[in-house]
Amino acid sequence: MAEDKKTPQLDELEKGPWPSFVTEIKRAAVKSPAANELLGLMERSYEDNKGHWKHGGIVGVRGYGGGVIGRYTDLPEEYPNLKEFHTMRINQPSGWFYSTKSLREICDIWEKHGSGLTNMHGSTGDIILLGTTTDELQPTFDEFSDAGYDLGGSGSDLRSPSCCVGPGRCEFACYDTLDMCYDITNEFQDELHRPMWPYKFKIKMSGCANDCVAAIARADCSVIGTWRDTLIINNDEVKAYAESGMNIQRLVCDKCPTRALEFDAINNELTVIPEDCSRCMHCINMMPKAIQPGKEKGASILLGGKSTIVKSAFMSWVIVPFMKMEPPYTEFKDLMYRIWDWWDENGKTRERLGELIYRVGMGTFLREVGLPPVPQMVFRPRANPYVFWQEEEINK
Amino acid sequence: MSKEPADPKIKEKVLAYLETVEKAKSKDIAKAIGEVKSDVDNAIKELAIEDKIEYLYITTTFVALKGKVGAP
Repeated sequence: MAEDKKTPQLDELEKGPWPSFVTEIKRAAVKSPAANELLGLMERSYEDNKGHWKHGGIVGVRGYGGGVIGRYTDLPEEYPNLKEFHTMRINQPSGWFYSTKSLREICDIWEKHGSGLTNMHGSTGDIILLGTTTDELQPTFDEFSDAGYDLGGSGSDLRSPSCCVGPGRCEFACYDTLDMCYDITNEFQDELHRPMWPYKFKIKMSGCANDCVAAIARADCSVIGTWRDTLIINNDEVKAYAESGMNIQRLVCDKCPTRALEFDAINNELTVIPEDCSRCMHCINMMPKAIQPGKEKGASILLGGKSTIVKSAFMSWVIVPFMKMEPPYTEFKDLMYRIWDWWDENGKTRERLGELIYRVGMGTFLREVGLPPVPQMVFRPRANPYVFWQEEEINK
Repeated sequence: MSKEPADPKIKEKVLAYLETVEKAKSKDIAKAIGEVKSDVDNAIKELAIEDKIEYLYITTTFVALKGKVGAP
């Protein structure tokens, strides 16, 4: 049994000034036999240089197709409390805002039904609850449901939409990410809970191009706040930055990726060339008191971000340069339904949307989904624009 | 996915098809029984709520008759 074993390799991970997951599992092990055996199994994995987990299979909550990931150890005789050690995903609130009361409630339910171990949060965004048995899945779900929580996504479904803290804490947010995340989570309940697609689909919402949820590299659909008009510059504040000793030319203008800013060092005035600005947020981050996003705000829609699976990792492509993002988000929802129908019809098993677009071509995707090609659809920033001349359109 | 009730005939066809296989993706079920995929998805949703079928994750998500596929 694990309590009889030493864990010298795991103990190394408790050294240093940072928090240690090993320390936390040891704390949970005081109450939970499964957490105790988990220490032994992890040490064993480090010794053997292999994981001792099998995963997949059941979901185990009536009517749901996602939100539970079945996990089993391949050493059940040695670690009987890990014979079944399933993960549950609970859909997080928009922007991960909790009261301490709700966090206590989540932990109390999980200590009652599972190992007590949590991962706040998984990369999908959900509250991750680590380790329970098949028999406990439905009772755990029922108690969370009574407390107002729902399962998140897993498998070939829409994963729980996630967003940055948006206007809740950030002046840069170009739309209400929190409201949109809540709204579309409710709209897409079937897509979230009944896996029906070739593979997973993630929607992540960032209020600006700082992209604090890293949507562009991870999400099949990124909704990234931007503005359609031009930067707002307050030259009184520019002067204050200059007088405080800030080297505006070097730190701001020279680092503008499109050289869209010009600084008059004699008069301490900053001007922007609107048509060259790519709305990257660098100047705003450097001089937030002097530069603000424009007034006509909305979001860019990007598609195709993913990690390596069928193909290598992809960054997202801009598909819609600007869309107003206001309730009830009808234009966005309609676009999602069209894209999903196309992907579901044409995608191979385990093929993400970006991989399908890569396979059949962006031109085919745009024509069949009904989107116009625009210059902002670039393969790499400021380079290689797609050209969509069809044979019949060429005037020979 | 449709918010309307599923067609009972399609639900019967889905169950009959799942009797013949261990597990299947809904796209393959729709093809096998000659129905529109979105209608099959809707039928599967109701059958899962009725506890007649269950979703399984084995590198991707399948559906199977309840209890037909054991733990890995």
